[in-house]
Amino acid sequence: MPIWLDDFLWTYQNVVYALGVNGLLGLSMYVVLSVGQLSLGQAAFMGLGAYSSALLTLKLHLPFAIVLPASTIAPVLFALAIGTPTLRLSGVYLAIATIGLGEVLRAAYLNIDYVGGALGISGIPERAGVVSIYSLLILALLGFWLIGRSAIGRAMEAIREDEVAAATMGVNVARYRLGALLTSAVLAGLAGALSAHVSSFIGPNEYGFEPAVTILSYALLGGIGSPFAPVIGAWILTLLPEMLRGFADLRLVFNGVIIVLAVLYLPNGILPWTMRRRAA
Amino acid sequence: MNRSHFLAGAAAIIAAAAFPTLAAAQVQIGAIEILSGPAAAYGIAIKAGLDLALDEINQKGVLGGQKIVLTVEDSAGNKDQAINAARKLIGRDKVVLVIGPTLSNEMFAVGPVTNERKIPTVGTSTTAAGITEIGPYIWRTSLPEADVVPVTFKKAQSRGVKTIALMYANDDAFSKSGFDVMKAAAEKLGLKILTIETFGSKDTDFSAQITKIKGLKPDAIGISALVEPVSGVVLQARSLGIPKETLLLGGNGSNSPKLGEIAGAAADGMLVGSPWFIAKPDAMNTGFVTAFTAKYNKAPDQFAAQAYDTMKIVAQTIDRAGAADSEKINAVLGKIDFNGVMGPFKFTAGRDPASSDGVVVLEMRGGKFGIAQ
Amino acid sequence: MLAQQLTNGVLLGSTYALFALGFTLMFGVLRVVNLTYGFYFSAGAFVALFLTRNVGWPIWAALPAAAVAVGAIAVVLDWLLLARLRRINAPELSSLMVTLGAVLALYAGMTAWLGPDIRRLPAEVLGGEAMIFGPLRITNAQILVLIATGVMVTALLALMRLTPIGLALRAMAENPDAAGLMGINTGRLAALVSFICGTLAGAGGVLIGLNFNAIQPYMGEAMMLRGFVVIIIGGLGDIRGALIAGVLLGVIEVLTAGYVSSGLKEAVAFAILVVVLWTRPSGLFGRTQIRRA
Repeated sequence: MPIWLDDFLWTYQNVVYALGVNGLLGLSMYVVLSVGQLSLGQAAFMGLGAYSSALLTLKLHLPFAIVLPASTIAPVLFALAIGTPTLRLSGVYLAIATIGLGEVLRAAYLNIDYVGGALGISGIPERAGVVSIYSLLILALLGFWLIGRSAIGRAMEAIREDEVAAATMGVNVARYRLGALLTSAVLAGLAGALSAHVSSFIGPNEYGFEPAVTILSYALLGGIGSPFAPVIGAWILTLLPEMLRGFADLRLVFNGVIIVLAVLYLPNGILPWTMRRRAA
Repeated sequence: MNRSHFLAGAAAIIAAAAFPTLAAAQVQIGAIEILSGPAAAYGIAIKAGLDLALDEINQKGVLGGQKIVLTVEDSAGNKDQAINAARKLIGRDKVVLVIGPTLSNEMFAVGPVTNERKIPTVGTSTTAAGITEIGPYIWRTSLPEADVVPVTFKKAQSRGVKTIALMYANDDAFSKSGFDVMKAAAEKLGLKILTIETFGSKDTDFSAQITKIKGLKPDAIGISALVEPVSGVVLQARSLGIPKETLLLGGNGSNSPKLGEIAGAAADGMLVGSPWFIAKPDAMNTGFVTAFTAKYNKAPDQFAAQAYDTMKIVAQTIDRAGAADSEKINAVLGKIDFNGVMGPFKFTAGRDPASSDGVVVLEMRGGKFGIAQ
Repeated sequence: MLAQQLTNGVLLGSTYALFALGFTLMFGVLRVVNLTYGFYFSAGAFVALFLTRNVGWPIWAALPAAAVAVGAIAVVLDWLLLARLRRINAPELSSLMVTLGAVLALYAGMTAWLGPDIRRLPAEVLGGEAMIFGPLRITNAQILVLIATGVMVTALLALMRLTPIGLALRAMAENPDAAGLMGINTGRLAALVSFICGTLAGAGGVLIGLNFNAIQPYMGEAMMLRGFVVIIIGGLGDIRGALIAGVLLGVIEVLTAGYVSSGLKEAVAFAILVVVLWTRPSGLFGRTQIRRA
């Protein structure tokens, strides 16, 4: 491999990782939005995945092939615990309840010395890479694509469009919603484990309110017409700050203005098209 | 639009990589600082110090007239952006050395990346424990709190302090590390710790913690946090009736002209240990303060002073290394013997600052720091 | 000590309530999660800072001037960002997204323009010495916050309950489409609500800046999370609920920090929020559930 190509890949290696990880997070948001739930627990799930996987690697020295699947356990248990009571909530109530849970977890990380408190956990070995990140992303995309075309996908869309009508038609709304929340927790937990194992450090402030809103914005900017849309949204929002480096201190200004213009003129997302025409 | 930007960027990288000789008459250095977002004040102060030093260095250049080109990248205080900045500086701008990043948390993420590429990385403001243990290419010029805080506490003890209450921001690494040091220093000196209270670094209300401390009547209160919350704590301590006899003791974060500006007379009597202070009378320091004030129309703080010295140390190192070569620079850094606005400077074998002799204990009087008697 | 801690709690709580008043109105009537609200707060503090420090106005003139100026800013921002989305009946969440982008740009622009440093209003404007009432110590700024909170809540309640505008606003909160059909000019009302909310937030920013001496471009952002907690516990759009919830939250936080552990101060706020949502999803004092379709 020529040196310049090697350098180029090395320079953008972390961006490439971030695109994959944030793509997974976009999908984790997508799956709850696609059953009409505005749950903002993704950052909290991600944090649980990141912390539990980092501890498994550093304290128990487990191989990554075990750590990665195990990283979904804590987020799933957490999702189960909060799922039943919170799923009664709708709209902003659910959103804010899940943000609240994220903040409670943040306070826990800060107050527990075993997980480093404010110092976080550093020295996590680099175990994940392009192969693990992108194969999971592709698998997830493929899975959602297949589900979207199946009867399950139709039921999910029905719930999103009109919850009451869907229930009347015999769709078990609560089960679908819990299923979506658990899937979301799995994806976010995996994303957390992957990102922890490519960036060597995790801290308690990376999974609070701001990241929760950022993950939501992946799906909102991209749209939720198809599973590809939130991934594209995540990619745009991940690349923007890097593209705008030349603007120095006005970087965030341009970043914000671009988001505003995108939403004003494309209120249904960058990719508003649904996967197939709505039949029946 | 994004795509075309990306392609333009890619083309530029390829061009730069293909014709490296074009930039040969210059020495490329990078810095990663927080220039945007809520914590930008620190990165901007550091950049100001670096730029001022660079102006002076480039008047005659290094290595017989080569100019140093400093590329400062913004991290926005975000771990991922800090890593991206480091990779961009090293992979694309081909810097031979990196200054920064601003926060200890960022260094824990960036350090392994630069260390892997064997690019010497010099933190100017990363005071947390464990920074230089990241690897043999990670250095810092900022005195870790462990060297500064005990001096302050000893001074307090000499004034008759026997009991102490500790307060710290528990959500950032800098403040937490400072607190750990305070606790150890108090225990070592045999001060009785009456209570330990925490707050968030973005908090503005500290009345509950202060009222509790007031009830315990400590001889002193040690505060480890950045200057914004410290100013708030100090103001509220006085308005809630903590008496003047209770000594307030600050860590590194309190050492900023902002403290006097915000807290005013409420901060009078506060003791802060510092490797540097603005009224240090030697010619080098007064020259720096005058030049800084003329250029930026505001007084420098400790972060700017440390950055100023660091830039000069880096320039001297490059000269002594005889080439803009990372490996040589890293080898020479450990042998450097420098005298700057912070005083005499050397590195230990562990790549930390060698001497804490320069540490002075400052006392707030009328909104300004002076040497404590 | 308990008396002082309770006072601390009420004072802290009234700053929460002050922040939440306009927020809950905006949320309740316009039904948008408007994230630019935190920016209004910062803007108010900075306008007052400019007027007192650079122009030399006394605080009693600078406070209303800053409030009105921010009210005007809020109307312009509403028109630029949200009017179009309302007109085309965009999905509900796009308002959240557009205000998220806007607030990112606004804070960053403000930082680039004014610098990131923390500032304070000139100490002379109020006199800093605390007053002593028996065992209690209260500063002038805190008394001003208490009075202002009381005045604003009373004025808002009077507006909502006693005037035709209030009737129209309540109608709009219940059902904007029906309100429109009944001949209420919802566009103009939205501008009015934005103005009122901006004014409240601007005044809140000045008062809290005065109280905590920490004026900084991102000061509003730090309040947003607590703002959410307060308006949810109080019930969306419920002015009296916001007041009670704000004060309650302040007291609970202070008592937790004072008697349990200061590390739990923040966590307890969110734990309460989660419990309230589980048990009484429409807020502690909610009578009607505002359902979002």
